[in-house]
Amino acid sequence: MSTLRPRHAAAGTRFLDPAVLGRIGNLELLARTVVDGFLTGLHRSPYLGFSMDFAEHRPYNPGDDIRRIDWRLYARTDRHYIKLFEADTNANFSVLLDLSASMSYGSHSLAKLDYARYLAACLAYFSNKQRDRVGLVTFDHEIVDYVPPSMKHLDTILHTLDRAKAGRPGSLEAPLLKITEMLARKGILVLISDFYEEPDRVLNAVAPLRARGHDVIVFHVMDPYELEFPFEEASGFEDLETGEQIPVIPSKLRGDYLAMVRAHLADLERRFTDNRIDYTLLDTSKPLDEALFRYLLSREKLGKVR
Amino acid sequence: MSLTFLVPLFLAGIAGIVVPIIVHLTRRQRRNVVHFPSLMFLEKIPYQEQRRRRIQHWMLLSMRALALILVAAAFARPFFDRSDVAGAAGGGPREVVVLVDQSYSMEIGDQLDRARVEAQQIFDGLGPLDRASLVTFARGAHVLARSTSDRVRLRGALDTLTLSSGATRYGPALKVAQTILEESTLPSGEVYLMSDFQRNAWSGDEGVRLPPGSRVVPVALSEEEPELDNVMVTDVSLPRQIVSGRERVTPTARVVRRGGTESRDVTVRLEIDGQEIQSLTVELEPRSAAAVEFQPFTLSQPHTTGTVRLPPDALTADNTHHFVLSPGTSLDVLVAESAGAPSDVSLYLRGALQITDDGRFDVRTRRASTIRPVDLDGVDAVFLNDVAIDGGSAERIRSFVEGGGGVLIALGQSGGWPASAADMLPGRIGSIEDRTEGRGGRLGYLDYEHPVFEVFAGPRSGDFTGARFYRARGLELSDSAGVLARFDDGSVALAEVRIGRGRVLVWTTSLDAFWNDLSLQPVYLPFVHRLAEYLGGRAEPVPWFVTGQVVDLADPDALETAGLVSSEAAGLAEGLDQVALDPRGGSTSLPAGSGPRYLPLDEHGFYTIRQPGSDPDRPFVMAVNVDLEESDLSRIDPDELALQVEMPSVAGEGPSLGGEAVALRREDQERRQAIWRWLLGVALGLFVLETVVSNWVSRRRAGAPGAARG
Repeated sequence: MSTLRPRHAAAGTRFLDPAVLGRIGNLELLARTVVDGFLTGLHRSPYLGFSMDFAEHRPYNPGDDIRRIDWRLYARTDRHYIKLFEADTNANFSVLLDLSASMSYGSHSLAKLDYARYLAACLAYFSNKQRDRVGLVTFDHEIVDYVPPSMKHLDTILHTLDRAKAGRPGSLEAPLLKITEMLARKGILVLISDFYEEPDRVLNAVAPLRARGHDVIVFHVMDPYELEFPFEEASGFEDLETGEQIPVIPSKLRGDYLAMVRAHLADLERRFTDNRIDYTLLDTSKPLDEALFRYLLSREKLGKVR
Repeated sequence: MSLTFLVPLFLAGIAGIVVPIIVHLTRRQRRNVVHFPSLMFLEKIPYQEQRRRRIQHWMLLSMRALALILVAAAFARPFFDRSDVAGAAGGGPREVVVLVDQSYSMEIGDQLDRARVEAQQIFDGLGPLDRASLVTFARGAHVLARSTSDRVRLRGALDTLTLSSGATRYGPALKVAQTILEESTLPSGEVYLMSDFQRNAWSGDEGVRLPPGSRVVPVALSEEEPELDNVMVTDVSLPRQIVSGRERVTPTARVVRRGGTESRDVTVRLEIDGQEIQSLTVELEPRSAAAVEFQPFTLSQPHTTGTVRLPPDALTADNTHHFVLSPGTSLDVLVAESAGAPSDVSLYLRGALQITDDGRFDVRTRRASTIRPVDLDGVDAVFLNDVAIDGGSAERIRSFVEGGGGVLIALGQSGGWPASAADMLPGRIGSIEDRTEGRGGRLGYLDYEHPVFEVFAGPRSGDFTGARFYRARGLELSDSAGVLARFDDGSVALAEVRIGRGRVLVWTTSLDAFWNDLSLQPVYLPFVHRLAEYLGGRAEPVPWFVTGQVVDLADPDALETAGLVSSEAAGLAEGLDQVALDPRGGSTSLPAGSGPRYLPLDEHGFYTIRQPGSDPDRPFVMAVNVDLEESDLSRIDPDELALQVEMPSVAGEGPSLGGEAVALRREDQERRQAIWRWLLGVALGLFVLETVVSNWVSRRRAGAPGAARG
């Protein structure tokens, strides 16, 4: 009886490996480790400074970057001045985290919810570092916790994430509708879920957010076993949310299952894209940097559009 | 020959194989549950119901089912029925009893080895349904193996066959064989009697009758009556003398030679306490006897062991004669006579008590009607010779008797007894009966069973009929009294009553020559001696026993008879455990208890009795010699013996080859084949293998995806 093993994270991404991160108990420390390490690796990236605006001039000091000298001012005053920029702190950044029971699944040491919590923490820390107002909404079939966006709420968000537990059945439509009503000011919304609903219903739930002017970024979190279905033994499969159990012979059903999953993912991606919602499928066995890259890419695109 | 079952009902247990199938299916369902985030996609895939019912581990299921079938089959007791084969062999199963003589005469030649070979051949020739018993016998019989078809057990029993010191007796052995055959349900019985067939071993009135249908097969272990030149010690006399205050014993051995053709010298050795002290050579003619008198030796230590030993010959057991001696102790006798009586009133009595070779009586005389306490100090026996004592003396006498002393009241002209102590007498004393007219009275009845008169029981052992009795006092017996002697007119001469641990005897006439002339008869002296010894509670020690006798070591009288001088000196206090060491070195534990402690004396030699763990200087020893009847090798016709115990078969009697016998054969066959053991063994092995395999499968399953969260 062979077992299909999940692919492991590539070497060199030690700080972003979910398995390594799983051993860090403090979410703030985790987020700082991930984000700082991530940014250090990207210090020459063209995306740096996307949210900076001019603030003031100051005299040039030896050692300052000469690229930042304001040559126009030099032409007028014959003195060297450096341009100082100020971060844009006006954006509202909220994470919408799915706490349905299906998120508690994990074939290895890290469950989907853990992965999602790490991701949410990293994004919140990252955004807070960019002087965004950060908020958090957790939900299953209703709103579980709501942390309004604020510059000072990072600690509260991390604490809320730390005690977040999945256990109840979930649905998207009702809680997202309520979130639409709660978040009056436009902002950046990151929705993290496993989307175990029909694509039509998912879109029906997410589309109102987009319609209210929010920039929505969707992270679809999936376990490698959900994506590859490597089970061999004939077993009874029990739904984590409903408790329903059916007998399954994996070897007989694997092909059908994988085809249906692929179709589901493709359908979701197509519909999200059609609605100008950035969609990213995340495999919990892969490092977090992919998710962070996708997020930064999305922010850049949003910036360009603006 | 076909496979069949003794208890086929157990085969119904095979239906139990559905249990592992159910377990096989249900267990799988119960154990493998995989928790999955959502069945959204799986529920859309159609599946077939039979998939969950499929059995994947056929090997496991087969092992479980096979093991259960084997267990059920084992309980049904399978066997291959060979009844037809046995029937074709004819004769039917037999109950075979092998009786092997182990008496000491079997040491002649190689008779015991031959007996082993013959018995082994009989056991080897047993049929599959036959059963056999092995019984050894000498004076008694011992069953070494009883009615078994287990040849290993029979062979093991045969290996334990040894010689004993007993004499041959066929009666007990044939009785045992009779019992075994009577209890047997097999249709025929055979008794193999292996012996040297001595005539002394069979009297013909043992009352043995074997069941009908059984027969005796005599197996003579020697072809003919052996012509042995056998010399034996038949007796040792041990007369004692007091010389210079020391006791000296002069052993005299009687040596008998049986067989032989010409005279030869025989060296006779005397060993005392294991050391040879004398050796004498005597010339013996064929079939003759001689007395060998050794030099006297001083007997100073209690429980001194002695052995008279002859050179080894073909029959060695009768070449030694053991004995145990202890120095004698005198008996203190008080003779009380009336103060006014003639001086010679106790002349004959005192004279008789003082005339001994070994000075066994220490006589004191008191001439008074009052017995003081000091007079009774250390006294064993009291003779109140024609004296009338007062009431206080009678009470002191009562205490003396209750403490174990003995009193003889001789009633003469002056004799009397206070009325206040009349209950101490065996009856009420009456008036004087005068028989001076004519020739006087005689003693008409003597209780020869009584210790006083038992030595006179044999012919020419003492004649009381010569004595004339002219006067006697009447005695009206009480209910508790016993009469030891009567005159020819029926009146009481000697009566006894027991009081406490002692005894009171009343002699209704005088002990001197006034009223009778018994004191002038030769029997008077031993009679007085016996009276004194009996009153003093003194038992004659036996210097040796004969094999086959049994001694009760809890009985003080028996121990005294066996020669025990002092319980304290020998460390044999009452209420303590004892251990007996037999001549072969074996020990017999004799725990203390309220009941008797019987010690069978089966071996010739010395038995040592002591407390466990103690090592007294002079332990209590008993000598045991072989029964010399066994040395007489004259034979009985074996066939004549067989005819006496066999009972001719009568139609309709005895067990027959009926249904019971057939059922028995089936059980026997099943027991002999014991297939069920193999089946159970294989089933156990299958269960173990199944456990190993299923654990291995479980481990594999546990390593499979989904099981960790299942």
